[in-house]
Amino acid sequence: MMPRYRAISLAALLVPALLLASLMLGDRHVDLAALIKGEATAEVRTIVMDLRLPRALMALLAGMALGIAGTIAQAVMRNPLAEPGILGINAGAAFAGSIVIVGFTGLSVTVLPWAGFVGATTMAAAVFLLSWRKGTSSARIVLIGIGLGAFASAGTSVMIAFADIADVQRLMIWLAGSIYDANWDKICLLLAWLIVPITLVCLFYRQIDLIRFGDDVAASLGQRVNLVRAGMILLCTAISGATVTVAGLIGFVGLIAPHLARRMVGPGHARLLPASALVGGLLLMAADLVGRTIIAPVQLPAGIVTALIGAPFLAYLLWGRRHVPA
Amino acid sequence: MFRHDNAATPGLVLKNLTLAYDNATIVQGLDLSIPQGAFTVLLGRNGSGKSTVLKACVGLLRPKSGTVLLDDRPLSQFGVRERARRIALLPQGPVAPEGLSVLDLIRQGRYPHRPLLARWSPLDDEACDEALELTRMVDLRDRPLENLSGGQRQRAWIAMALAQQTDILLLDEPTTFLDLAHQAEVMDLITTLVDRGKKTVVAVLHDINQAARHANHIVMFKAGKLVSQGAPNDVMKRETIRNVFDIDPEIIHDQKTNAKFILV
Repeated sequence: MMPRYRAISLAALLVPALLLASLMLGDRHVDLAALIKGEATAEVRTIVMDLRLPRALMALLAGMALGIAGTIAQAVMRNPLAEPGILGINAGAAFAGSIVIVGFTGLSVTVLPWAGFVGATTMAAAVFLLSWRKGTSSARIVLIGIGLGAFASAGTSVMIAFADIADVQRLMIWLAGSIYDANWDKICLLLAWLIVPITLVCLFYRQIDLIRFGDDVAASLGQRVNLVRAGMILLCTAISGATVTVAGLIGFVGLIAPHLARRMVGPGHARLLPASALVGGLLLMAADLVGRTIIAPVQLPAGIVTALIGAPFLAYLLWGRRHVPA
Repeated sequence: MFRHDNAATPGLVLKNLTLAYDNATIVQGLDLSIPQGAFTVLLGRNGSGKSTVLKACVGLLRPKSGTVLLDDRPLSQFGVRERARRIALLPQGPVAPEGLSVLDLIRQGRYPHRPLLARWSPLDDEACDEALELTRMVDLRDRPLENLSGGQRQRAWIAMALAQQTDILLLDEPTTFLDLAHQAEVMDLITTLVDRGKKTVVAVLHDINQAARHANHIVMFKAGKLVSQGAPNDVMKRETIRNVFDIDPEIIHDQKTNAKFILV
């Protein structure tokens, strides 16, 4: 039992450490001691307070949200390979975003999050309605989610093929998922969007604990399985939809964070939800830090870094489970 | 000990029940009273509708027509949690999430007793401890389910259903895939629950002799219809078994246990 908690405590300590590293490292090395003593120049202060700090916090916040969304998805779908993307949420948000960027060039960028949110919600609703047949089943939701996701991705590809090259470039950067243009307004926006759904998820963690046991067991214990599944998918959509639209498409964090967290604290959601949030936040902060420093001054979007780490991890996960019957 | 001739007013009663999945009718016009405080076994070939009947008894399947009554009140009028405090069902071959301990599993049985946002209470602890003791799982409480033998795992699942503290317990094929020793373990546990815990237990079994040895009441199904029911020695007739199972057995009356067994 003890090593489990040692791992999670270590992870908790890593958060402030990584945050400090994010403030110091970069194109320009910042001397934090000088900053605290008030000896830093205005330029340095701007770099830290208006660029690096919001960026690190945004990565932390988005990673936490993705970790929680992934935990919900894996429990509700009863599938260890599930992540919010499987509900078509990311593809839906991307499609809606690309329509805005390519189709309405005149519109302000602030519309983008809203468009993405509408896309994500529409997608999740469509997946849920299409898989409804006197109730829902996890397998049907996964299949229809993948199908509709592919459809929306195809739509985005069509946009990319025919749009103006400058728009495509903006679109590609947004799609790759980056936190580079984080600012305090965006952080507040994301926080406002996340606070209600995440509170609800944490209040009802017992429902997530139970629904993992399968419909028959959960229903015979008195759970309204379809209601809980719909509610949890809605919350998952709200959380990951908001994150995708503010921070861009960031894959794999929602998949990996719950798995790492499960190894640290076990399968109960009372501990798993906060642990996944912590691990997710750490992962994305680290990915963003690596992305902007490793080949500086060129910046790799965080979404690409997470994919570079995430893909091998996925393979490892499948390899480790090769003896488990599907 | 339960006696067949003085069964009290029945708790669970099925009236003219017709059950169907989409358009495939599984059970037709079933009338059945489950004797209280007794061990009832449902027998029949695969697809004869036994499991479907159990599902209808906990409301997992809405009847196409007819009603399930619990204490003379239609089951559909019960709230889902209220119902789950009266009847527990252990489905066939349930699967637990990875990494769960025995106690983690058993604690889930308290779900219908806990208000939506309530904390874990001493009553919940009591119910779990009792379930652990009855199933003799106390020493294994912190073990991960993956590390248990088949029989122990089945006992853990039954313990979860016991933590639900219902007066009626439905078990769908609790002994299938277990070796003989583990099957005997589960049957002993059921006997204890009925004799000492005063529970009403209904189980789907495949082993006719196991049913004959342990059941107080046997119900035989064929193609969704009730063919025969009664005390084991009354239904264990060559003609009945030939009709229900499409086999031609010898019936042997064992003097020591005063039970009838079949020899195929």
